[in-house]
Amino acid sequence: MSNVDLLPIAGHRPAAAIGVPRGTLAGAALAAAAIGLGWRAAGAALPAPREVLAALATLWTERGLAGELAASLALNAEAIAWSAAISLALAYLTVLPPLRPLVGAVSKLRFSGLVGWGFVFTLWARDGHQLKLWMLVFGMVPFFATAMAAAVAAIPRERFDHARALRLSPPRVAWEVVVRGTLDDALEVLRQNAAIGWMMLTMVEGVVRAEGGVGTLMLDEQKHLHLPAVFALILVVLAVGAAQDAALAWLRRAICPYAERREAAP
Amino acid sequence: MTIHACERRETLLAIQDVHAELGGRPVLRGVDAAIRNLVRPDVAGQGQVVGVLGPSGSGKTTLLRLLAGLAAPARGRVLVDGAPVRPGAVGVVFQRCPLFEHRTVLGNLVAAARSDASAAAAGAADRARALLSRFGLAAREDAWPRELSGGERQRVAILQQLLCGHTFLLMDEPFSALDPLHKARACELIVEVSRLGERNTVVVVTHDIPEAAKVCDTLWLLGRERAPSGAPVPGSRIVETYDLIARELAWHDGIERAPRFADFVREVTDRFVGL
Repeated sequence: MSNVDLLPIAGHRPAAAIGVPRGTLAGAALAAAAIGLGWRAAGAALPAPREVLAALATLWTERGLAGELAASLALNAEAIAWSAAISLALAYLTVLPPLRPLVGAVSKLRFSGLVGWGFVFTLWARDGHQLKLWMLVFGMVPFFATAMAAAVAAIPRERFDHARALRLSPPRVAWEVVVRGTLDDALEVLRQNAAIGWMMLTMVEGVVRAEGGVGTLMLDEQKHLHLPAVFALILVVLAVGAAQDAALAWLRRAICPYAERREAAP
Repeated sequence: MTIHACERRETLLAIQDVHAELGGRPVLRGVDAAIRNLVRPDVAGQGQVVGVLGPSGSGKTTLLRLLAGLAAPARGRVLVDGAPVRPGAVGVVFQRCPLFEHRTVLGNLVAAARSDASAAAAGAADRARALLSRFGLAAREDAWPRELSGGERQRVAILQQLLCGHTFLLMDEPFSALDPLHKARACELIVEVSRLGERNTVVVVTHDIPEAAKVCDTLWLLGRERAPSGAPVPGSRIVETYDLIARELAWHDGIERAPRFADFVREVTDRFVGL
């Protein structure tokens, strides 16, 4: 970086000083430019930005967007909690060699897809909420467990030996080395999987309409060809997803101040 | 030249006909050795420092794991104070000095201090702070391990083992990746740790001949012997034991500047190369 890059503009705080990486701003500007160009190229088929804004206001005041958003966020939080609990338990169990094939089998479910399983989950679930929850958890756990099992497998043998040489009991070795020792990895994997979950949520809410949610609302608007409202909802989903991601990144830094920042995963 | 009087008393560690294999390949073949308590009438708390020298692949780290009780020998046994060694019976400072990365320096030491059943858990933080102060790390107690330099990390790893109540310490390659200044500090640290108590024993596993010769009272040379045909025999054993006290090299300040030190290093190097 040259000295010129470091010079602040009078009365203006550089992006880095307010915690926004310069690359992120450049990426956002590029994305906005690309979207703008694509929008123009599509011509009259797409709604104008002011129409989208007007639709957003209507969704908020007349269609109960806040309530639908709350329902989606609650479902997503519940799905993340269940996925984290199941995946972490599976990943931690990989320190016991006889249980590794179980995690291997769960990992293979990444390739099975969600669509065909809907009927099976319908048989298991008591209500619509549970059905959506099952589908989200089923979608997230294989990815979460695979990533965490890899993090556990990457713990060097020296770390276990170090804890054993300190006379820690086997449960404390597992706690210090496996659970506490990979907590920063777990929170990073959680962040990535929460993003996957949020992306799947609108699809799942479209398939199972019980309890509503942003996905259900979006499908309703799409059915009636209310394109400004659909685009408004796309923007809302994008903004909430990005906010969720930022919140989880902040949570990781707050809980694990010792961990290095993952600049590679923006 | 000063000749130090000393007496070798009870056996602290015995390695009896130890064999080890890795993936069916013999790594160690009938290793026999012992470390006895060295007592100097004129020095209180003279511990022992033993060096295990050997070329890469000679099974030094395997021997270290066996001495630590972290692996079991295929045959033979390792006794510490007359009892078969088990994990936690001796302290180990590994080459990369692992620490609990999620704990601060003080947190790492307190966790170690609390694992010492013979000490009161309540005073763990005070004992940790006292050692940090003694070893020049008082200002670093709130630092995270990743913020430490290589030398600081090594000191914290050693202090963990001391707080855990270990009087027997194994150190794997303590001089690797250190510059000359930090090597000298590591040597001072090893000597200081060995002099914390009469039965304190440090075993240094290394391939750094001059540094080992500087701090040790005994050196074991680990390597593969050769058959009459000249081919190496699979599996290493201790092919040479050097008594540095008898050679008047141990416990002399500035010994590395003496011609006899250079002669000794050359002698060991020549033997080392032939292994």
